[in-house]
Amino acid sequence: MFIDFFYKLRDVGLPASPTAFLTLHRALSLGLVSSLEDFYTASRSILVKSERYFDLFDQVFAHHFQGADMPDVKGIELDELARSMLEFWLNKPGELSRLLGMDEKALKKLTPEQLLEYFKERLKEQTEAHHGGGKWIGTGGYSPVGHSGYHPGGMRVGGVSGNKSAVKVALERRYKDYSQDGPLTQALVGEALKRLRHMAPAGPKDRLNVEKTIYQTTKNAGEIELVFDRDLKDKLKVILAIDNGGWSMDPYIPVVQTVFDYARAQFKDLKTFFFHNTIYDTLWGDPARYRKAQRISEFARLDPETRLVVVGDASMAPYELLATDGSIYAEERSGRPSIECLMFLAQTFPRSVWLNPKPSDVWDYTRTISAIRQIFPMFELTIDGLEQAVGHLMKK
Amino acid sequence: MTPNTETNRFTGASRYVLDDELARIVNISMALEMPLLLKGEPGTGKTMLAHAIAEALGMPLIVLNVKSSMKLVEALYQYDTLTRLNDSRFGDSKRDVSRIEDYIRMGKIGQAFTAETRTVLLIDEIDKADTDFQDDMLDVLDQMEFDIIEIDKTVRALNRPVIVITSNAKKDLSDPFLGRCNFHHIAFPDADMMRRIVRVHFPALDKDLLENTIAAFYRMRQIDGIEKRPATRELINWIRALKADSDCRPQQIGKGEPPYLGVLFKKSQDYQRAREAAARRRL
Repeated sequence: MFIDFFYKLRDVGLPASPTAFLTLHRALSLGLVSSLEDFYTASRSILVKSERYFDLFDQVFAHHFQGADMPDVKGIELDELARSMLEFWLNKPGELSRLLGMDEKALKKLTPEQLLEYFKERLKEQTEAHHGGGKWIGTGGYSPVGHSGYHPGGMRVGGVSGNKSAVKVALERRYKDYSQDGPLTQALVGEALKRLRHMAPAGPKDRLNVEKTIYQTTKNAGEIELVFDRDLKDKLKVILAIDNGGWSMDPYIPVVQTVFDYARAQFKDLKTFFFHNTIYDTLWGDPARYRKAQRISEFARLDPETRLVVVGDASMAPYELLATDGSIYAEERSGRPSIECLMFLAQTFPRSVWLNPKPSDVWDYTRTISAIRQIFPMFELTIDGLEQAVGHLMKK
Repeated sequence: MTPNTETNRFTGASRYVLDDELARIVNISMALEMPLLLKGEPGTGKTMLAHAIAEALGMPLIVLNVKSSMKLVEALYQYDTLTRLNDSRFGDSKRDVSRIEDYIRMGKIGQAFTAETRTVLLIDEIDKADTDFQDDMLDVLDQMEFDIIEIDKTVRALNRPVIVITSNAKKDLSDPFLGRCNFHHIAFPDADMMRRIVRVHFPALDKDLLENTIAAFYRMRQIDGIEKRPATRELINWIRALKADSDCRPQQIGKGEPPYLGVLFKKSQDYQRAREAAARRRL
């Protein structure tokens, strides 16, 4: 019974265990489930063990019992992309239609919903060309008008079910905001901070002083006496370098800064610098990248234990990274290609990570991302990515 | 043991507003005899639920507040060596010093097991403890028995308690742990639900005050970049503060800086941000 349903859940990556499935059957055989609503709550509380999968569960449930669209794991990103295209279209209709090779007038006749669908179609063609035919079914149903932006502000409210049918409840997708696949948003600041709190030196562990122990033990005529030293550990120093040039990074800068600022108290020192696309000889202390220049060669004097966190999409024209004098700014001419500067940084600070707001499955399509990944360990700018990055920074 | 689901059905309590979904989950967990793991933002009533179940089903409630340094054995029983030493020296008590059993005291889990009636056992903030504690504890709860090593005796549960476990997700719980629990995440209540919750706590509340505070409260929850959003508990305390203040006029709450912001925002950075946001809206 419901074996299909169970495997569908597993297919979309929801970690439901066979034991839990058997428990569900026990619930069924005890006669506890008499309606679809009961089945919905029972199966969810038994099979799904984390709220981050609630949304996925809702979608599969709606699909299985009502034939709603099957969730596509890649769908979310495409959605976001389509919406940012719509945003772009609203600002500069002419340019986008030219880029798409479409008649502006033909596009103008469409309603926002139709436009969104159209953009999705176009994006789908593109991803298919790249991925070689990944299946895509739209999740659909977003009204772009009258909403504040791509990221609905704050966690949406939900949770009271009243007397609606289970499928309807599932279709509402009340737990959309709890699934943590998307890039970091203001709503997830609290979650992100929890991950960052792990970025603290391991507690004062007492360390065995072997030499003194041997000395004391022999002095004691063989009666073992252990001598411990207090393991002194300092709080971390962190350098945060943010790519704040170009609109692709705009939504993420305030989030990243908020998160690190909040965590400031747990660091000994937090320095924030800015750059555009990639790092040349200088980083900038001011967001305008004009007044406070900081030559990276001076970083050599800093504590090599400092953790360096670079945030950027690492996407640019290859020459910007590889050519000498590749910078798009005329005043940044040093004769050193940026990639050497990055290598210098990675060598100066062996504990460093690069956080990229782009989803990891598109990293391979950008040459500069691949090149930078050779130098810095790269993680997604998501809750999970942040967790992994912190894990990497704290590795012994 | 098949519980009598008719008489043991949980439908809500006097001070707790329950939604249908949660009621169903509680009933299923009781019938399956599995612990119910509750997650959710702080202040959404995770702990209150256990109190409500105990009240509604007329069972005694036993609360185990988990601490980070806690050992499992502390939750099960304690061997009171100090009293025994004392008794052996002064010998003025009725206890028999040679009987170790007289000096065994039950911990919270032990109390729930040895209680004459069925109890509700609330294990609060399980995520504070380390993984070993969690796994070991679930073994005990699974088998419904534990050994007292000092007197080589096995304590078996007389009645299987209704177990509610809460977690604030400070640390991730281990997979085997999750596998043995039913799981529910209490979502933040929407405005309608919140009105009902506030009504339960303040039956005679002025309607103006209610509407204005709730509107302002949800607006403030939307402020960007807040680490700890104000939750139900904060709202109720806030209303209590406003009620106590005779100068407070409900119409003014939505305008300018709301009074007693410190009741709602408890981290200094959050407080600062909320003040800035309030100031900006006024301009």
